[in-house]
Amino acid sequence: MAKQYDVLFRLLLLGDSGVGKTCLLCRFTDNEFHSSHISTIGVDFKMKTLEVDGIKVRIQIWDTAGQERYQTITKQYYRRAQGIFLVYDITSERSFQHIMKWVSDVDEYAPEKVQKILVGNKSDEEDKRQVATEQGNKLAKTYGMDFFETSACTNHNIKESFTRLTELVLQAHKKELDGLRASINDELYIADLEDDDNKRDRSVNSQKACWC
Amino acid sequence: MDQSVAIQETLTEEESCIIAVQCLLIMDSITESRLLGLVERGQEHALFLFTHRRMAITGNDITLDKVVPITEDFVIEEVTSPDELAIVGSDTTVRVTLPGLELRLRLLFGSHSRLFLYEVDKACQEYDSETPKSQFVWLSKYCRSLKCLTGLSQPRNCKSAGINRVSFQPIYMGLLNYSTLNSNTKRKGLCMQHPRGQRKMARLQSRPAKVKGEARHDMVRSSSHTLSNKAQMLAMPRFGLRDNLIKCELLKNEEQYTYIKNFSFFIGTYNVNGQSPKETLRPWLSCTPNAPDIYCVGFQELDLSKEAFFFNDTPKEQEWTKAVSDGLHPDAKYALIKLARLVGIMLLFYVKKEHAEYISEVDAETVGTGIMGRMGNKGGVAVRFKFHNSDICVVNSHLAAHVEEYERRNQDFREICSRLLFRQLDASLPPLTIVKHGIVLWLGDLNYRICELEVDQVKDLIEKKDFKALHSYDQLKRQIDENAVFHGFKEGEIAFQPTYKYDTGSDQWDTSEKCRVPAWCDRVLWKGKNIKQLEYRSHMALKTSDHKPVSSLFEIGIKVVNEEVYKKTFEEIVRAIDKMENECIPSVTLSQREFVFKDVKFMEHRAETLTIHNDGQVPCQFEFIQKLDEPAYCKPWLSANPCKGFLAQGGEVHIDLEVFVNRSTATELNSREKTLEDILVLHLQRGKDYFISITGNYLPSCFGSSLQLLCHLREPIQDMPLETIRELTLMPQDSTEMNSVIAEPPLEIPKEIWMMVDHLYRSAAKQEDLFQQPGLRSEFEEIRDCLDTGMPDSLPGSAHSVAEALLLFLDALPEPVICYSFYQECLDSCTNVLMCKKVITKLPPCHNNVFNYLMAFLRELLKNTVYNHLDINTLASIFGALLLRSQSKQDITEKKKAQEFIAHFLINYL
Ligand SMILES: Nc1nc2c(ncn2[C@@H]2O[C@H](COP(=O)(O)OP(=O)(O)OP(=O)(O)O)[C@@H](O)[C@H]2O)c(=O)[nH]1
Ligand SMILES: [Mg+2]
Repeated sequence: MAKQYDVLFRLLLLGDSGVGKTCLLCRFTDNEFHSSHISTIGVDFKMKTLEVDGIKVRIQIWDTAGQERYQTITKQYYRRAQGIFLVYDITSERSFQHIMKWVSDVDEYAPEKVQKILVGNKSDEEDKRQVATEQGNKLAKTYGMDFFETSACTNHNIKESFTRLTELVLQAHKKELDGLRASINDELYIADLEDDDNKRDRSVNSQKACWC
Repeated sequence: MDQSVAIQETLTEEESCIIAVQCLLIMDSITESRLLGLVERGQEHALFLFTHRRMAITGNDITLDKVVPITEDFVIEEVTSPDELAIVGSDTTVRVTLPGLELRLRLLFGSHSRLFLYEVDKACQEYDSETPKSQFVWLSKYCRSLKCLTGLSQPRNCKSAGINRVSFQPIYMGLLNYSTLNSNTKRKGLCMQHPRGQRKMARLQSRPAKVKGEARHDMVRSSSHTLSNKAQMLAMPRFGLRDNLIKCELLKNEEQYTYIKNFSFFIGTYNVNGQSPKETLRPWLSCTPNAPDIYCVGFQELDLSKEAFFFNDTPKEQEWTKAVSDGLHPDAKYALIKLARLVGIMLLFYVKKEHAEYISEVDAETVGTGIMGRMGNKGGVAVRFKFHNSDICVVNSHLAAHVEEYERRNQDFREICSRLLFRQLDASLPPLTIVKHGIVLWLGDLNYRICELEVDQVKDLIEKKDFKALHSYDQLKRQIDENAVFHGFKEGEIAFQPTYKYDTGSDQWDTSEKCRVPAWCDRVLWKGKNIKQLEYRSHMALKTSDHKPVSSLFEIGIKVVNEEVYKKTFEEIVRAIDKMENECIPSVTLSQREFVFKDVKFMEHRAETLTIHNDGQVPCQFEFIQKLDEPAYCKPWLSANPCKGFLAQGGEVHIDLEVFVNRSTATELNSREKTLEDILVLHLQRGKDYFISITGNYLPSCFGSSLQLLCHLREPIQDMPLETIRELTLMPQDSTEMNSVIAEPPLEIPKEIWMMVDHLYRSAAKQEDLFQQPGLRSEFEEIRDCLDTGMPDSLPGSAHSVAEALLLFLDALPEPVICYSFYQECLDSCTNVLMCKKVITKLPPCHNNVFNYLMAFLRELLKNTVYNHLDINTLASIFGALLLRSQSKQDITEKKKAQEFIAHFLINYL
C-alpha cells in the first residue's frame, strides 16, 4: 500500500502563566489532567495525529512558558508557528486583559499568515468566573478570530479547538498543499478523494450497460 | 507481452522505450487502438503513439503516428466524464494536452497502466527547464516521417502556460488508506466532523490540482531555504514507518473490528471448445434458488483460432460475456467488475450491485504456460480483490492436456502459482502471489483424467453411479493425496458424472475414433477458512461443447468491518503510536533551573554546576542556543562549559556555569546600568528547550569605576548608596556644576590611588622588580576588598600585589588617565616635550591630577634605580600602555609613541 504524505504543522500555545496551557496540551495528547501547577520553564512540545477533511495532519504543539520574565525569549519561537492559541483563564480578568499584549507580540513576531484562535480556559470554574463568555466573544470578533471556551479539567471543547485551528492552518496553506500533491505522484490520494466519492455514488446509482 | 520491445526496435541506440501500453485513442465518434510508448533520451522524454497490427511483437508491426514531447507545457490528467460508467476496476481515461494538441486516451484497467502513468508522471517531474537541453532536436528525425510533431512547431515560452499534472485513480483501496476510509460513505465516521469550512476545503482539494511549472520551481527553491515558514511545512518528514506500524497493528487487531458474515459465491467453469454461445446459460448460472452474491465464471477454449492465439484478440469474448450477463440469476442486479482473458482462458467477475462499494483493490494478471512455456493456449488468469476486509483470489486455469501428462499439469499449476504476481501499490512491498490471499478459489479445465481403467470399466462405474470408486482412479485426487499438486486446497465430493468428453450437442459419450475415456476435467477447488461448499455439480442440459459446465456454490465467511469498532481501534493505534513518538522526544532533567550568584566581586571567579541527566528514551544532543537579537548564547560575564555535547540515554553531564566580571563588564555593573541577569536556553536537538535563569548581585568596586566618580566618593564605594553611584556615573565628564548628590567638592585624586601609591612609596620604593613580578591573587582580593569597603591605615599584601592592583586599577578605568579624546594628540606630539606637557594641561582636573601624581611617583621610584632596577624605558612602556590607551588595537609604532610620550615626563626631572 502506498504511504500517504503527512502534513506537519506547528501550533503554539500562548498566554499568561497559570491559564492552563500545559493542561490543554496534556488533555489533548494524553487525555490527562493534573491539578497541580508546575510552571513551564522552557518550551515543550508534543505530537498528535489528526484527521481533518480527510487529510492526515500531524501537528506539533508547542507549549511555552507563560511567566513574564521568559517572554522576551519565547518570542523567538513565534516565527516558526503556523497556528497560535491565545489562551486566557476565565477566572482571571488579568489574564484576559493581557491577551491584547500577546496579540501585539504575535503580530510583531509571528509570520504574517499565522492563524490564531482565542481560548478561554477553565470553563468548569463557573463560580469563579471573572470574564463573561460574551467578553471573550467580543474580543475574538475584534481580532477576527474564532473563540472557544474550554476546560482541560472536564475535557470540554479541547479536541474541537485544536481541530479548528488545524483546519484554519490547512486552509491558509492550501496552495502549498496543492503543490505538494502535484509533486509527489504516488501520493495523490487527497486530490482524488472526493472524485472517488463521486465515482462511488455514480457507480451505485447508475444503471449503465454493466448492470445486468 | 511487453510491447516496448517492438517500439525499441524503431528507436536509435541513445533512445530507450521505458514502458509501453496498449490504449484506445478516443476521437470524436470512434476509438482506435494505439500502442503508447514513453521514450527517453538523456533527461528528455516524449510519448510516442503508434498504430499497430494487433499485438505488436516486432518493430514491423507498428507505425509511428504521433510524437508528443514532454515539455513544461505538457499536461496529462485523468478525465472522468459523467456519462461514462465509472466503477471500481474500470479503465482510465486520460487527456494529454500541449499547446495546439489534445488527445484522449483510454488505458486498460490494471497495474500496468498504473505503472505507465507513474512513469509518465516521473518524466514530467524530471523535466527541468533550467538545465540546458537539446530542446528535443532528437525528435526531429521522426518529424520528417510525420505530418505533425506536436508542440515543437512554434517557439515555446517556457514560463507561460506550463501545467504539469498526472492524476490517476487510486485503485487499491486498503483499509489503512485514508482515501478509502473517507470515500466509503459507510466509514465516514472516522473522519472528524467540523463545524464549518470542511465542505469547502474538501472540494478545493478534490479538484485536480494544476500546478504551474513556475510554482514547481518555486517549491524546489524554497525547500532549500530551511528557515522560510513555507519550506518548513513542505520539507515535511514522511512517516512511512508510522504507516507501516499502523498497518501492522491494524492487521494484528483485525479480529477486534471485523466479524464474519456469510456470502454466497457462485463459481462456474466451462470449456466451450471454441464454440459460440448457442443456448441460454440460465440452467447453469441460475440453478440456485437464491441469487448468489458473487459470480466468478471461467471459460476455456473460448476461441481456438490462430488470431486468438497470436493476437490475443477474439470476438468470442464479447459473445460469451453477454451470454453470461444474460444468464445470471434474474432476482438480482449484478455489476461486471472485472474481465480477464488470456487467449481462450477467460474469467468474469460479477458482484451484486449492493456489494459493489465493498469491493476494492481489484487487479487481474495472467500467466501463459503453453507452447515454449509462455504462450497463452494454456495457463491461467486470475482476478484478485478485496471484499469487505477479506482478500480473495480467483484463478481460472487450463492445464496441459493428454492422459499421461499429469506431471506436466502439476508443473503448470506450480508455474501459475509462482509466476502470477500482483503488483502492490506500495512499490516497496513484494508482489502478491495467489496463495498469499486468505481465500483462493481455483476453477478450470484442469485436464486430469481417469487412469488405470479401460473405457468400458469407467462407463460401467458411471452407469452404477459409483463415483466414489471412480474417483479413486482420478489423477487429480491421486496427485493431491501424494501432495504433488494443489497443496492446501480442498475439493468437495464429486457426485456428478465426468464432464468430458461428449459428442457436441448431446449427452452422448465421445463416439469419435479416439473414443476418449470420460474424465472429470472441469473442477473447482478452494483454500481458506470459513468456506463451505453448498453444492458441486455439472450441468448436463448445456450441449454447446464437448464439455459440460460445472458449478460450485460456496458459502464464504467474509470479514466485515464493524465501523464503530474499527474507528475505535484505529484511533487507539494512532494514539498509541503518537504516545510512543512523544515518549521518544529527547528529554532531560536539570539539577537546577535557577542559579543565584550572590555578592559577585570584581575579578572574582565564581562557578556553579548544572547537571543534565538524560532521562528520555533516546540519546540526545544538547546545546545552549543564542537568543533573538543577542550576539552569543549568554552575557559576556557568563559562560557554560561545555556549551554543547552529546548525552547517551541515562547519561549525565556536568556543566560549569561560570561568572567572571572583568574590566570590560565591570563598569556597567558598577553603575547598575546592567545587572547580573541572564536566561540560558538549553536546546535539545529535535526536542524541547529548557530555560535556565541566572541571577546575582554585583558588589560595586573602585575597579572599573571612573576617576571622576571616585573623586566624588569620600567613603568607600560599597558604603555608598547604589543610587548615588549611578547618578555620579551618568554625570557628564566635564561637569563643573555642583551635583545634587554631591555635597562636598571632589577630591583631587581618588583616595584609592593615593592609598596604593602611598603604600608603594612608603614601603616599596626600593623593591626589586617592582611592577614586573606578579602579585598573589588572594592578596589582590584582600586589597580590592579593603579599597572598596574600608580605609585601614595600610593595605594588606606584598608590594608586588599592591603594585599589580594599581596596574589593574589603571587598566580597568573606563576612561584612561589620558582621556581617549586626547590620545591622538599625545601621539602626534610625542617628539616634543613642550607639546606633551601642554596636552596634559588640557585634561579634566582629576585626570590631570592623577597623571601628575603618578609621574611624580614614578620619578621617585627612578631615584632608587640601584635597588629596584627600574629604568625609564621599563616604566614608560608599562605605564604608557595603561595611561595612554586607544579604543582600538594599538600597533607597534603607536605603542612606541605612547612610551616616548610618557618617557618625557620621567626624563626631564632627573
Ligand atoms: N479548574 C480548572 N483548572 C485548570 C484547568 N486547566 C488548568 N487548570 C489548572 O491551572 C493551573 C495551571 O495550569 P498549567 O497548565 O500548568 O498552566 P500554564 O498555562 O501551562 O502555566 P505556565 O506553564 O506557567 O505558563 C493548574 O493548577 C491546573 O490544574 C481547567 O480547565 N479547569
Ligand atoms: Mg505550562
